[in-house]
Amino acid sequence: MSVSAPRRIRMVLKALSLILAVPGVLLYLASYFWGAWLLLCAIALYAADRFLAVGSAVFGSEARKLLSRAIVPVAGIGSALLIGAVIMAITGYNPISSYGALFYGGLVRNWHISVLNATPLIFTGLAIAFAFQGGFFNIGAEGQYYIGVIAATWMGLGSTLPGIIAIPAIFAVAAIAGAALNAIPIILKVKTGAHEVVTTMMFAYVVRTLSPMFIRAHGGDPALTSHPYTTDLISESVWLPMFKDFLPGANYRLHIGVLLAIGAAFLVRFILMKTDLGYKIRAVGHNPVAAMTQGISVARITAASLFISGSLAAIAGATQVLGLDHRMFQDLNAGYGWNGISIALLARNNPIGIIFTSLLWGVLDAGGQYMARTTQTPNAIIEIVKGIILFLMLAEVIYKRAGSVFGRWAGRFKTAARKGAGA
Amino acid sequence: MIDFFAALLTPQLFEATVRLATPVTFAALAAVVCERSGVTNIAMEGVMLVGAFFAAWVGWISGNPWLGLLGGIAASALFSLLFAWAVVSLHINHVVTGAIMNILAFGLTRYLMMVFYGRQGTSEAVAKTLHHYKFAIPLLSDIPYVGPAFFNQTPLVYLSIISVFAWAWIFKRTRLGLSLIASGEHPMALETLGRSVYRVRYLAILISGVLCGFAGAFLSIENSNSFTEGMTNGRGFIALAANIAGGWRPVGVFIASLFFGFVDALQMRVQSLGIVKIPSEIFIVFPYVATIVAIAGLVRKSRPPAAVGKDFNIEGDGE
Repeated sequence: MSVSAPRRIRMVLKALSLILAVPGVLLYLASYFWGAWLLLCAIALYAADRFLAVGSAVFGSEARKLLSRAIVPVAGIGSALLIGAVIMAITGYNPISSYGALFYGGLVRNWHISVLNATPLIFTGLAIAFAFQGGFFNIGAEGQYYIGVIAATWMGLGSTLPGIIAIPAIFAVAAIAGAALNAIPIILKVKTGAHEVVTTMMFAYVVRTLSPMFIRAHGGDPALTSHPYTTDLISESVWLPMFKDFLPGANYRLHIGVLLAIGAAFLVRFILMKTDLGYKIRAVGHNPVAAMTQGISVARITAASLFISGSLAAIAGATQVLGLDHRMFQDLNAGYGWNGISIALLARNNPIGIIFTSLLWGVLDAGGQYMARTTQTPNAIIEIVKGIILFLMLAEVIYKRAGSVFGRWAGRFKTAARKGAGA
Repeated sequence: MIDFFAALLTPQLFEATVRLATPVTFAALAAVVCERSGVTNIAMEGVMLVGAFFAAWVGWISGNPWLGLLGGIAASALFSLLFAWAVVSLHINHVVTGAIMNILAFGLTRYLMMVFYGRQGTSEAVAKTLHHYKFAIPLLSDIPYVGPAFFNQTPLVYLSIISVFAWAWIFKRTRLGLSLIASGEHPMALETLGRSVYRVRYLAILISGVLCGFAGAFLSIENSNSFTEGMTNGRGFIALAANIAGGWRPVGVFIASLFFGFVDALQMRVQSLGIVKIPSEIFIVFPYVATIVAIAGLVRKSRPPAAVGKDFNIEGDGE
């Protein structure tokens, strides 16, 4: 069986692009920044493949579409940073040196912390997005994250099995725990129509409030009844493998959780876009009445969507315990559940987009800490900037209006130019 | 066992019930006004937080808690205008905007804490709190149990009770109430009558901002003497639950809020009695569990406004 020449070239291009992309991502994540060159080459090869596949005209329009889709996020982030700079200037901090520290810290100096921050965020972002696709708002992901942390710590403390068996088992138990936490909100939603925002939120507060009891029972200092700090360390056999095991230059804390998270993003994308379940979830999210007339059981889809969402959020917690913390901390103020909401919204519930928005959030958090240490600018400004980014990204109307005003100006300019040329 | 209950059900418990119900009552009234006008407002948590912060800050620099109260209300109202602009004028999804507002409020108060006080956690204490102005209503306060609970309280507590009945009256008897209800049940009908749905919803959100300002100020400069990061502790969401449990009606909502106040007071009382050797977390969790139970038991009994949470776009196809 012979393959035509352009097809063979395309296959080679595709294979090369993939061969370059995987190590490129790995190296870049591990702070080998020259991995970016591999990534750029991979992107160029991929573009060449598309070009051969669709021809120059379609390729040009595809490229333009991609660029125009990038304009709104870039403009939103840019304007939010600008507003943040104004706030800093008004309140007496130097925006230029602050932002300098922010990006140097987040992108270069402490890039590994950015990646570590992004890891649980990808999972919680996916959790929220999964529920959103079905039209549900799992605002209580924070609680499911906690339950995941508790489940993983509890299993990890007692584990004597080798990691290869124990780690998947821990992830499974955490996922089940996270899903179980959503059981009552699901029942209430299906039976009475109670909005999941209030119920999942209350469960988040319940779990959060009760979590110190777990810490006290597993190694927290009993003398410190009001502030038990941490549990004992979980057994070393269930720690996730580290990047430094195969890339000696990587930071010693960087674990492979981020790869699991990226894998999960592709898996979620596959489930949502290519499977029957995903189709039904999106149908219910788009129009529940229409979905019902199509014979889809809305109750069953509600349950599936919120169960999977809960497990994803819990896996975020488990990854954090097995990979980074190796124990449970009191008052995990990082708010991965809350930030997951922002990340999913920012990525418009696109699973692959979530990888990037999580990294952006990770960079802002890591850079913010570095900025606070080196320039004394309070890193709460980062929270404000994040809020403004979200606001600007969601208010499409602003851009449409700005676009139409710009269009009118451009139109006027054109007619004026034409008149000038005519005269 | 009887001794235990006697120690538990003291007049102080009922007084604390009404007191602790106050912020929930204010916020739940805010939820009623918003939801009746067709706006799902989950931003109340954040709006309350902003109100609490500015009440504490203005109260601290001016030394006058009443100015603090005004400052908190003004800040809450302004902050909720941002919410109104986003959901009414920009047509962003209500729940999504609410979530962002909460994130923004948390960041804003944390940032301003550093800017104004130069530290994290808890702000400077105000010189005088609103609790200082507690007064008993003669005769009525002598009624056993009911007297101390309802008639020996602080001005804000009285105001919350008055607001409940005022709003019940507004919804029943006034044009404003009718407009609010129409805007939530059938916005197009209101619009064809020549009243602007946008304006009614803006007004509703502004009113809810003012009410949340009272709730926030209550938390920071009446129930306590300073602002603590995240001090609303989910009360905005509990208020949302009280609104559902109370059937979108002011008086129903007040009863639901009293229930949450009671659970909260009970939690504190049991904890302070120290009779039972149970970790304190079990008690702190009471109000949250009570919320879930209330929603589970009561949600089917009433019907939400027909157009609640739905965008109204007069330039588009109406709804």
